[in-house]
Amino acid sequence: MTTSDEFDNLTTPLETSTSPALKFDVLAKCSTTKARASKMHLPHYTAHTPMFMPVGTMGSIKGITTKQLEDLDCHVILGNTYHLGSRPGPELLEAAGGLHEFMSWNRGLLTDSGGFQMVSLLRLANITEEGVEFENPHDGKKMMLTPEMSIGLQNAIGADIMMQLDDVVSSLTTGDRVEEAMWRSVRWLDRSIKANKRPTEQNLFPIVQGGLDARLRTLSAHELIKRDSPGYAIGGLSGGEAKDSFWRMVSLSTDILPDNKPRYCMGVGYAEDLVVCSALGVDMYDCVFPTRTARFGNALVRTGSLALKQGRFKNDLGPIDPDCSCPTCKNYTRAYLHTTVTKDTTGCHLITIHNIAYQMRLMRDIRQAIVDDRFPEFIREFMSIRFGKTVPKWIISALQSVNVDLTTVDEKTGYSATPISDDFQKVPNM
Amino acid sequence: MTLHFELTGANAAVGVASGAAASPRSGRLVLDRSLSSEASAPASTLPSASTLAPAAIALETPTFLKYTRHGLQPHLVREVAAELSDMPACTRVQLEDFLEDDGSACGQHDAGLHNFVFLDRSEVLLLDTLDPTVTRRVGKSTNSFLAIDSEGGTKRLTPEVFAQLVDRLKPDIIIPPADYIEEPLPSLTQGKRISKSVTRSAKWLDESIAKSVYPSAVFAAVMGSHSPELRDISAKKLLARSDVAGYVFNDVSLALPFESKLQLVQHSLAQLDASKPRYMVGASAPDAALRAILGGIDLVDSSYPYAVTEQGFASTYVFGGEGPAGEIAGASAAAAGRLDLWQESMFNDFGPLVEGCSCFTCRSHHRAYIHHLLMTKEMLSTVLLQIHNMHWYQGFFADIRSSLARATLAEDAQRFLERYGPSSEAFGELETLATQESSPTTKIQRKRHAEPL
Repeated sequence: MTTSDEFDNLTTPLETSTSPALKFDVLAKCSTTKARASKMHLPHYTAHTPMFMPVGTMGSIKGITTKQLEDLDCHVILGNTYHLGSRPGPELLEAAGGLHEFMSWNRGLLTDSGGFQMVSLLRLANITEEGVEFENPHDGKKMMLTPEMSIGLQNAIGADIMMQLDDVVSSLTTGDRVEEAMWRSVRWLDRSIKANKRPTEQNLFPIVQGGLDARLRTLSAHELIKRDSPGYAIGGLSGGEAKDSFWRMVSLSTDILPDNKPRYCMGVGYAEDLVVCSALGVDMYDCVFPTRTARFGNALVRTGSLALKQGRFKNDLGPIDPDCSCPTCKNYTRAYLHTTVTKDTTGCHLITIHNIAYQMRLMRDIRQAIVDDRFPEFIREFMSIRFGKTVPKWIISALQSVNVDLTTVDEKTGYSATPISDDFQKVPNM
Repeated sequence: MTLHFELTGANAAVGVASGAAASPRSGRLVLDRSLSSEASAPASTLPSASTLAPAAIALETPTFLKYTRHGLQPHLVREVAAELSDMPACTRVQLEDFLEDDGSACGQHDAGLHNFVFLDRSEVLLLDTLDPTVTRRVGKSTNSFLAIDSEGGTKRLTPEVFAQLVDRLKPDIIIPPADYIEEPLPSLTQGKRISKSVTRSAKWLDESIAKSVYPSAVFAAVMGSHSPELRDISAKKLLARSDVAGYVFNDVSLALPFESKLQLVQHSLAQLDASKPRYMVGASAPDAALRAILGGIDLVDSSYPYAVTEQGFASTYVFGGEGPAGEIAGASAAAAGRLDLWQESMFNDFGPLVEGCSCFTCRSHHRAYIHHLLMTKEMLSTVLLQIHNMHWYQGFFADIRSSLARATLAEDAQRFLERYGPSSEAFGELETLATQESSPTTKIQRKRHAEPL
């Protein structure tokens, strides 16, 4: 597979920022939406954004070798600090020379803070000003994860980008707790910055918090940008909130965050969300969805996903996606995959490869459309294939906010959409 | 389609002529598809790998057939398997992987099994019925069908269905269904059951050949279980046939030690045409393969490296080299033949699986990473181990062939067998595998043994 080449003819950045371990060059901007296409120079790799980062929780991506990941055009992958901190642990990772060396991956790595896992995996987490207190699942002892410890672990892992420990509250929480968490996250950011022992090799990204409250989000973003960090994340979303609130919080955040720095929307990975958020000015995404759904035998296609276990694929002699150039689509029929998915590890690998290739291709297509300044056309085509004539209302509203109106008839294609109220994430357009 | 087998080297002259059926031999198996009428293979919706197919494919024996699951080597998708070099160009596929309850297989795919599993046409494809790593698999067969126990219930395979599938799947070599017996049998009915199995298998072989049009070469199962008389009857029937290109010995379900099974095989070999290739199922472990080769077997399969991988081991056995057991003083024979990556000592071991090994895994990764992947149940662990174990297995057979060419196999083999001690201690992974869950799936987290052996 070819490595991304959409910037081959672009050399002069429209916006730029330079930090010791990150140089960000915005090379193209959409003239209609807030989308931009950029190069992000990291210590280990120059990534092209908007980009999707597959999740390799434990230092590997489900049965895929790092050589295959390079062939699939992955630029940055994610590791989870909580998991890597317990196994193999920071001492071993340090002895190995960091996670890059440990897993033989020469491109970009990003680690989360571990805080999200604390709250989602450990029911007994108790958050104080000091940090996140939790019960060790192995021996039941009380333990504490502080911002300093999170950064210590992440320094041992050695990723190109680290995330601050934030006080995570569910996006469905309301009231004083949200404001408390937002301010505490700012205080924890300052402790994290102070704790970072490798600021010239590893970037630390703050996380915009504030739940679904526009006032708090605004305060948070303004507070964070005072720290002049190399990039910023938008957190606390993708937790089951209404999509209409989700996009408004994303858009509000990108309006405040500086144009010359990367913006990372955490936990987003559905294709339509990637297209919409890119239009809102987001540059980076991660999600377990494409690799997790592959293990259940679901292959991603432009209309949604195919559950290859279903009997209707038994005699289907076409590839998953005739337009996809991944090794799975070039070589195997749906009928073959039907016989092996969820039975053999290779069946799982084949779908995982396709799903990663699907995400990477979508992001390349988004970047190319931005470079060619035809991103609005791309959006229309994407939505018409994904949803047909009825598009979730939140998508229509979000796109209207950036001057793309799917409800008006497109002159060239004749396409127009009518809004439906469902958030409509997983149902394929069949 | 022609399948030509010739003995090469010193034994070519004496081996066949003198009737020394049970001596090691080197040979060349050549498959030539140019004479068959398959040029008219129907077009598929996918590009076929057939464009690169050479007219003739040669395999130097003794060698192994690549064991697969659903047509792919375990854990290795095509581009990962491509990291392995010098592999024998022969892949075995078991029909049970694709057989549906209604007797269909591979949907309505009609461009051949090579195309369906995306195997290069430069590979010889052998179609067997049963998975050689599963010993407990035969259900209640009748005169008309072979019953195969599987996850989704019992599947029935009649010779008619097999013949139809052969015409559609166009394998190069087929092993038609035979009435394999699973032990233990009630002693009273034993003789009768074996006799019935010989008769049925002969009938099924007849029907499978008669009812298929595609000219696959036929490897026929030599039956008779542990009855010398019935083995003679089975062998005589096969000897009389000109449409049988090779012989298969599949006695894996018999409750006998390997050495006894090999004696049964050798008993039959004396009755059979020595110029035809011989494939022994269940002789995949290095010690078993070596004993089988010493006893005149040409082909085994690579189910052993898969079993090693499933245990979280890396193969380290060495065929060549000096000295007998003294060389591995201080280590048990088992420990010397494999490395247990579950061991705690692997935690911070940044060495390759085997120092100096040129496989992809040893070039790119260290023991500590593979230990970590096992501990965290990551699927990449078995991918990386399988690459190493297949690489290692291939080297073992290359060593055996050179030893045979140098006419030192007897001494080299003796040293190897002494070095690693009695059978099943050093190379018992297949037996361990057979007692575990039927297959590693994405649904059931396979319990590879949690404690170091």
